[in-house]
Amino acid sequence: MVVKVDNTESIPATDEDLIICFLILTQLPSDSFRYLIWQVISEEMDMKKKKYLRGEGANLKDLKDKKLQGQLVVQEELFGKSAAAAAKAEKWLMPSEGGYLEGDGIEKTWRIKQDAIASEVDILSSRKQFDIVLPDFGPYTLEFTPSGRYMAAAGHKGHIAIVDMKNMSAIKELQVRETVRDVVFLHNELFFAAAQKKYPYIYNREGTELHCMKEHGAVLKLQFLRNHFLLASINKFGQLHYQDVTTGQMVANVRTGLGRTDVMQVNPFNGVVAVGHSGGTVSMWKPTSAAPLVKMLCHPGPVTALAFHPNGHLMATAGMERKIKIWDLRKFEVLQTLTGHCKSLDFSQKGLLATATGSFVQVYGDLSGSQNYSRYMTHSVAKGYQVKKVTFRPYEDVLGIGHSMGWSSILIPGSGEPNFDSWVANPFETSKQRREKEIRSLLDKLPPETIMLDPTKIGSVRPERKKEKPSKEDREAEMEAAIEEAKNIHMKKKTKGRSKPSKIAKKKQEAVEKAKKPFLEQHTNKRKPTEETQLPKSLERFVRKKAAAA
Amino acid sequence: MAGTKRKSREGNGQNKGRDFKKKNQGSSGGSGGKDGRRKRVGPRLPNAMLKELQLPKRYADSDEEIGSDDALNDLYEYEEGVAEEESRKNRRFDTVENYQYELPEEFEDENVPSDEEDGEDDEGGQRGDEEEEEEDDGRHSRLLQEITGLPTDAFDGKKKKNDVIISEAYSESEYNPSRDILDGDGRISIQDLLDPLHGKSDHSKLRKSMSRMEKKSMPIHAPLPKPDQERLERDAAYGFIQKDVTKWEPHVKRNREAPTIYFGKDKDVGYSTVGEIAAEFEPRSDFEKKIASLFNDHEVVEAHRKDGARLLELNKISVEDLKERQDQLAKMRSLLFRHEMKAKRVKKIKSKVYHRLLKKDRLKQAGTTIETDPEAAKEQAMKQEFKRAEERLTLKHKNSSKWAKRILKRGLDVQDDGTRAAIAEQLNQHALLSRKANNMNESSSSEESSDEDDLDEASDGSDQDAAVKLLKKAKDKTAEVLEGDEELPASGVLSLPFMVRGLKRRKEAADEEAKLALEEFESSLKELEDKNEPKTQGTNILTGRRVFGAQKKQAPEPKKKATSDNYYGDSDSEGETDARENGINAHEENNISQREVHFDPNLLREESEINHDSLFKSFDDIARDPGSKTSYEVSIFAADSWKKMNDSSAKGKQTKSANAKSAISLQITEPVESKPDGEEIDEDSDTDSGGEMVDGILTSGTKSTYEIPSQEELIRRAFAGDDVEDDFEREKQDALNEEVPEPEKPVLLPGWGQWTNIQKKRGPPSWMLEEHDNAKKKREEALKKRKDANLNHVIISEKRDKKAEKLYTPTLPYPFTSQEIFEGSIRMPIGPEFNPGTAVPALIRPEVVKRSGSIIKPIKFKEVNPHEKAQDHKRGGVQKRKGGKSKGKATK
Repeated sequence: MVVKVDNTESIPATDEDLIICFLILTQLPSDSFRYLIWQVISEEMDMKKKKYLRGEGANLKDLKDKKLQGQLVVQEELFGKSAAAAAKAEKWLMPSEGGYLEGDGIEKTWRIKQDAIASEVDILSSRKQFDIVLPDFGPYTLEFTPSGRYMAAAGHKGHIAIVDMKNMSAIKELQVRETVRDVVFLHNELFFAAAQKKYPYIYNREGTELHCMKEHGAVLKLQFLRNHFLLASINKFGQLHYQDVTTGQMVANVRTGLGRTDVMQVNPFNGVVAVGHSGGTVSMWKPTSAAPLVKMLCHPGPVTALAFHPNGHLMATAGMERKIKIWDLRKFEVLQTLTGHCKSLDFSQKGLLATATGSFVQVYGDLSGSQNYSRYMTHSVAKGYQVKKVTFRPYEDVLGIGHSMGWSSILIPGSGEPNFDSWVANPFETSKQRREKEIRSLLDKLPPETIMLDPTKIGSVRPERKKEKPSKEDREAEMEAAIEEAKNIHMKKKTKGRSKPSKIAKKKQEAVEKAKKPFLEQHTNKRKPTEETQLPKSLERFVRKKAAAA
Repeated sequence: MAGTKRKSREGNGQNKGRDFKKKNQGSSGGSGGKDGRRKRVGPRLPNAMLKELQLPKRYADSDEEIGSDDALNDLYEYEEGVAEEESRKNRRFDTVENYQYELPEEFEDENVPSDEEDGEDDEGGQRGDEEEEEEDDGRHSRLLQEITGLPTDAFDGKKKKNDVIISEAYSESEYNPSRDILDGDGRISIQDLLDPLHGKSDHSKLRKSMSRMEKKSMPIHAPLPKPDQERLERDAAYGFIQKDVTKWEPHVKRNREAPTIYFGKDKDVGYSTVGEIAAEFEPRSDFEKKIASLFNDHEVVEAHRKDGARLLELNKISVEDLKERQDQLAKMRSLLFRHEMKAKRVKKIKSKVYHRLLKKDRLKQAGTTIETDPEAAKEQAMKQEFKRAEERLTLKHKNSSKWAKRILKRGLDVQDDGTRAAIAEQLNQHALLSRKANNMNESSSSEESSDEDDLDEASDGSDQDAAVKLLKKAKDKTAEVLEGDEELPASGVLSLPFMVRGLKRRKEAADEEAKLALEEFESSLKELEDKNEPKTQGTNILTGRRVFGAQKKQAPEPKKKATSDNYYGDSDSEGETDARENGINAHEENNISQREVHFDPNLLREESEINHDSLFKSFDDIARDPGSKTSYEVSIFAADSWKKMNDSSAKGKQTKSANAKSAISLQITEPVESKPDGEEIDEDSDTDSGGEMVDGILTSGTKSTYEIPSQEELIRRAFAGDDVEDDFEREKQDALNEEVPEPEKPVLLPGWGQWTNIQKKRGPPSWMLEEHDNAKKKREEALKKRKDANLNHVIISEKRDKKAEKLYTPTLPYPFTSQEIFEGSIRMPIGPEFNPGTAVPALIRPEVVKRSGSIIKPIKFKEVNPHEKAQDHKRGGVQKRKGGKSKGKATK
């Protein structure tokens, strides 16, 4: 067994890249060797550069506008330079490699137990394996901040704890003395929202209740849209609420009309909220429309769990019928169907998929890189414990498991992103940095209408609108044009007094009338024949008599 | 011409005559002279004769005129005039028309001056005509001859000359060739023309130039037509200018192609440091100048440059001044010393009495000043207010100091009396300081608000509940008042014995009152409670803790096979313990603390809901691990609860009315009845079933009661998937119909085409059907184009989001002609968040980089290699450019 666990807390040791660099710069045995190394590096760089180029530019060869062509060529050149610089920066500034787990020979990775891993890894990493037993307050649900530094754990019976995962100290524990169904952090660890028995509440880190959001009702599941500062919730009646946490404004209140559910997840890529329903459907919502963006039938039975890959292209759903499906959201097709019950699903930053049922946790991974998920690791918590929630800790190879007797944390090598970007999420954030980031993120806050299936389309040319109903002005303009055309018609020169001015005028008049006719008809056609007139038109004149007779 | 002259002369004469006539008419009496003149009218010729003698008459006329001109004293001539007038009279009718025609012209001109300046008139006559002059001259010469006796030739000399010049009858021109030409001499040479100029000043010069011209005499062609000429000129100019302009081409091209143009890159724009600015300083005002003169004083500068010794020399001070200053310093020092000593002494005094007295004194002093001086009072008030604000801000006395915290941490009870007193004192101080001046309402208002809060809470329940609460609160308050022993003040005016006595008396009276009030409250509370009891019991059954116990009673009836997992057990255990507590507590608590009671059953409910999900899997799961510890626990707790339930029910029997019991039984049946109603109630039923399941472990009873509702629900859930696909298909159809509506079926207006059976059979006309078919086809095409056309399991909404419309580019921006290219050009974000720091400046560099303040000079010619490309985009290296030019880059 070979284990390497990514550990942000340990300083990365000398990297082979650095060694290569050193070699290049100093002792070069021969030109050919130098060339070889250089080739290897440049290939690698090309790969990375491609990633940063964000697709290829359009073909500029056929462009007729020479000036524009020149400008675009310059621009493309700059893009290329930027991508190359980014690739270079990635190469030298993000040296840590992800962890991995490899079996020796025929040894299967999913047979490897946690204690076996613990004995192999460094002390810091082995410390991340632990179980916290809190038998009194029911199944726990867990939530990590995006940096993975803090964790909120909420027991069903009202116990909420905020834990600093770095030094393993509880920052605050509070007992709200009512059911807590879900807990989420808001934009930073200072605030969190808890879905309690009747309403969701917002608390600060000290445990002070800041807000009671009565409009949401009895919420079953909460999600926070980090870029939009929206708190999304689904309540007992299947109503989806979006509340802006900066202004307090209720952005949207959508009735899903598909019944009660507590399966809800935000797509981190585009901010679309997906809700799994008892009818086996998954509907995707945005705050600016009352109808779902997408509604897909995923399972024949109720949907029990839902998770999105961080890149937003993959979705995993689990149904009551013992199936876990992995969907490609670009094509809305099933990529893979796995078998097994599942109560909770989660994708890690590196794309591992954790599923939990009963006291049994399984982790799938696409080890081949072809989005073909296979069993990677398994773990079962103590017998009788019911797992409620599994969630990967960001930037660590750690999986948090919330169950009926507290929570536990296990090592899943290769799950977390090894290099953190302090502009995105910083596990070592100081309070000053946190404050600055808060302001920055507030300035970068996205309006709710930017939530759409494909946000990369923003800024592109608006898709052509199919003419549904021409407006009154349009119709009038069209009529004007038709009349004008009729007026300008050239008359043939005819003999025998047929080209007399009076005749021509008359003909023109007629042509104009003819041109007008369809528009006027349209106008009159708009009035549908009323249904009250039951009698044929020809008989209508007898109506009064009948009435009189009656 | 001559004729007219004559006429005019005649006219003149006639005019004169008329004038005279007028005069005659005007002067009635008439002067003797005039009358005389009239009488002296000379011999007159008859008109006919005069006519015949026209010429002589004309002479006579002229003579007469001259005579009249010459002088008035010429009698003869005068008489002639008269005679003429006469003649005129006679032929009046012939000439009238003439007069009428000519008079107005000449009248003014000749008449008026002729009256006054007759002398000039003859000159005018002389000027008049040449013929006349000849005649005149002839006469004149004759006259001269007669006078002088000289022959006429002597007088004629002049005239002859005149004759020579005048001899040419016509002016010289091509029509009237001169005699020479006519003679056949030929051409006029330039020489001819020059000859007369011989001897003139410019002659030689002229002749030279002429000779020069003659030397190179060449035939001159006719000039080209003007348009041709101009065109040629333009052609030439074009070539010239083109050459001039094309040399700029590479320049302009380079500037156009450069992504960025830099202006004034190396310009120095002003100072950058303070030192530079200071160096430029020039003293302007007098003061500045004085300072500057001292500053730049040669000696001082020198002294500075060397050592300080010279400076001292320069710095002269008189002895008196120095002494005075020293004295003053010494005095101040001694004063300070004494003051210090005094302060030290005072500080050393440990006597509290002394300090108290001192303080008192100070206060007194302050008091008096306040009383007398409004200013001081104001200041004092301000000070007080400031202190209050400070206190409120810092909370210095609110046990926030290190010391106080430490004390509190250790526990107040552990401390000795002194510390406790100190702490109390501090708190007191805080209260004093932070109390709002002259305002005692504060605390009461806050209490009110809290009361209101309570009321709000109470209003959730029934009104009666609220009343109960209110009463209870009042009771508590009075009790507090009764118990609370207000500490009598130990000092001050209130500590005086008679004041103390008075206070005590008042307190006793108040206590009496409070007691009375308390009794009243209690009685009314009891009344209310009696009324409430059945009702609260009912509500409790719905939500309260009591119910839990009561519901347990139904546990034996429903039954479920052993389905239990860990947190069932947990929830149970909690419920049970609560129930136990319940049993211990008296029932009144149950009535009062409604809120607390709310909690547990609902919690249980929630859990049971969740457990529902786990039902499916727990069937087999539990089969796998039957002998777990938790289930053991459950059984224990359950057993316990069973006992407890009995207890509580017994107690209920004891304490409550029979009503309560009936309510319980009602409650038992209720969920069964109300199951199909709605979701909420469904949930209730779920909870019930959950609870039942838990209890079912112990108490096996009849299956039927449980299974009827829940099993159905379960089955519905379990097999919900059966028609899920059909449902979804229908849903999709609905959605499609909504988004792409189906065309309306062809309908006729009622009454149209329904006259006969044949028409009816024919149905709607063909064009209508065709239209319908077209619409259908269109719809199908639209459906085919949809993204979800080939995905049976997906509905993708294609409704357009109006709010998101603004996030798109409405039309293709100008230089772009294809959408693909435009979208390719915006695919990369160019901000610093998305690009490495080294690449960002180049990406966002503007077209023109110019330092503010630098002057853009007109473009200068510099040799540029036309084939060289502007290579470095980062530093375009282009210095200048002509004018502003827009680039498509702005569209980004």
